[in-house]
Amino acid sequence: MSVLANQALAYVDALHNLARYLTGNETDAEDLVQETYARALRAEHQFAPGTNLKAWLFRILRNTFLSSYRRQRNDPTVGGLDTVGAEAAGAAASDWLLGDVELDRLRKVVADEIESALMTLSEESRTVILLDLEGLTEVEVADVVGCAVGTVKSRLARARAALRHKLKDYGR
Amino acid sequence: MTCDEVRLHLLDYQQGRLRLETQSTVRAHLDGCSGCTRADAVEQELTRLLEHRLPQHPASLALKRRLATRWSEPARGRSSWSGWRSSLAPALAAAAVLLVAVPVVYYERVASRVAREQSAMVAEAVNDHLRLLSSQHPLEVESGGLHQVKPWFGGRLDFAPVVTFEGDADFPLKGGSVAYFRDRKAAVFAYARRLHPISLLVFRADGLPWPSRNLTRIGGLDASLTSERGFNVIVWRRGELGYALVSDVDAGELRALAERLARAP
Repeated sequence: MSVLANQALAYVDALHNLARYLTGNETDAEDLVQETYARALRAEHQFAPGTNLKAWLFRILRNTFLSSYRRQRNDPTVGGLDTVGAEAAGAAASDWLLGDVELDRLRKVVADEIESALMTLSEESRTVILLDLEGLTEVEVADVVGCAVGTVKSRLARARAALRHKLKDYGR
Repeated sequence: MTCDEVRLHLLDYQQGRLRLETQSTVRAHLDGCSGCTRADAVEQELTRLLEHRLPQHPASLALKRRLATRWSEPARGRSSWSGWRSSLAPALAAAAVLLVAVPVVYYERVASRVAREQSAMVAEAVNDHLRLLSSQHPLEVESGGLHQVKPWFGGRLDFAPVVTFEGDADFPLKGGSVAYFRDRKAAVFAYARRLHPISLLVFRADGLPWPSRNLTRIGGLDASLTSERGFNVIVWRRGELGYALVSDVDAGELRALAERLARAP
């Protein structure tokens, strides 16, 4: 086993977590992770030493999901619909004035509710939120999702606003 | 900097990702803008929610073993794995090492993760206790006895807290409230020892990393006694429910209360 392969295995939990939130079920998540590692091994020579291995693996996982997995499943409910419309994000943004009420509701949200709310967001929104939680920098997130660095900030802000909008009905 | 600009930077501000000058500008704006301060609090709460309550889905041990084994082997006609090219001898040698090392490494990682999670459980219990102490209304129901406190939880929880100790002269029951323990609701029974408040959190026990080592027998149950930030913490489970007892009272006194609580109902 190469050093890279050994290091890559250390990220299997994080990769599986993202895969689980992309596919929505355990079986498909495991398939996606296995295929990600297979592709990573085939592309090992393309990895630039000194760069973030975790971010590189996340990019392969997401590309694998987008290019083959999602098409094969052809499931419009999994990452196929962008439910984070500007309207929802705008509505959440206008809720700032209700900060105290929203704060109180957020504090009452439980695990199942936030998972359900997150799963209603688009694949792109779920991905940027989860990658941010994983501690990736904006540059690394931009590399994973294939957009400009400046775009990451606005996408993340929109995604979080949409999540808050979804959560406003919870915690009552 | 306008409110809209500040709000666009809030997440970066909270994570310290802004340049020093911008960080100072945002901080100065927040000091004088109540609307943005509320927005900042909401963003922080959302982050806390995501970090502490969003369920995590780690890979199963079976998947880890499968990956480790496959990575160590040369191709054997599996199309998905056929790109793994290495000579047979190094691969077999690596496999031999791997078969021994990987389970050890993974078990160590699992053990380490479990230890961290157990530590997080204790930290959460202390945080809940501190939140109650700092709350303006720590007790949502004042105690006139256990027969008043327990029924109050009806409809507020998705379980019935099993607590039979009604309090006594040493440990009077002061009241109760509803809190959150990690990702679930918890019933809080507030006891006291002299002037020291004591919180008993009762919550669903499923899915939590319960300690399995260095346990102490208390009232017929195996309990874990630890301390965190100057607070003594005792956790145990009985059936489907988990219990966390937190206070700054002496460890021996807290244990005395735990023994009263842990006695079979």
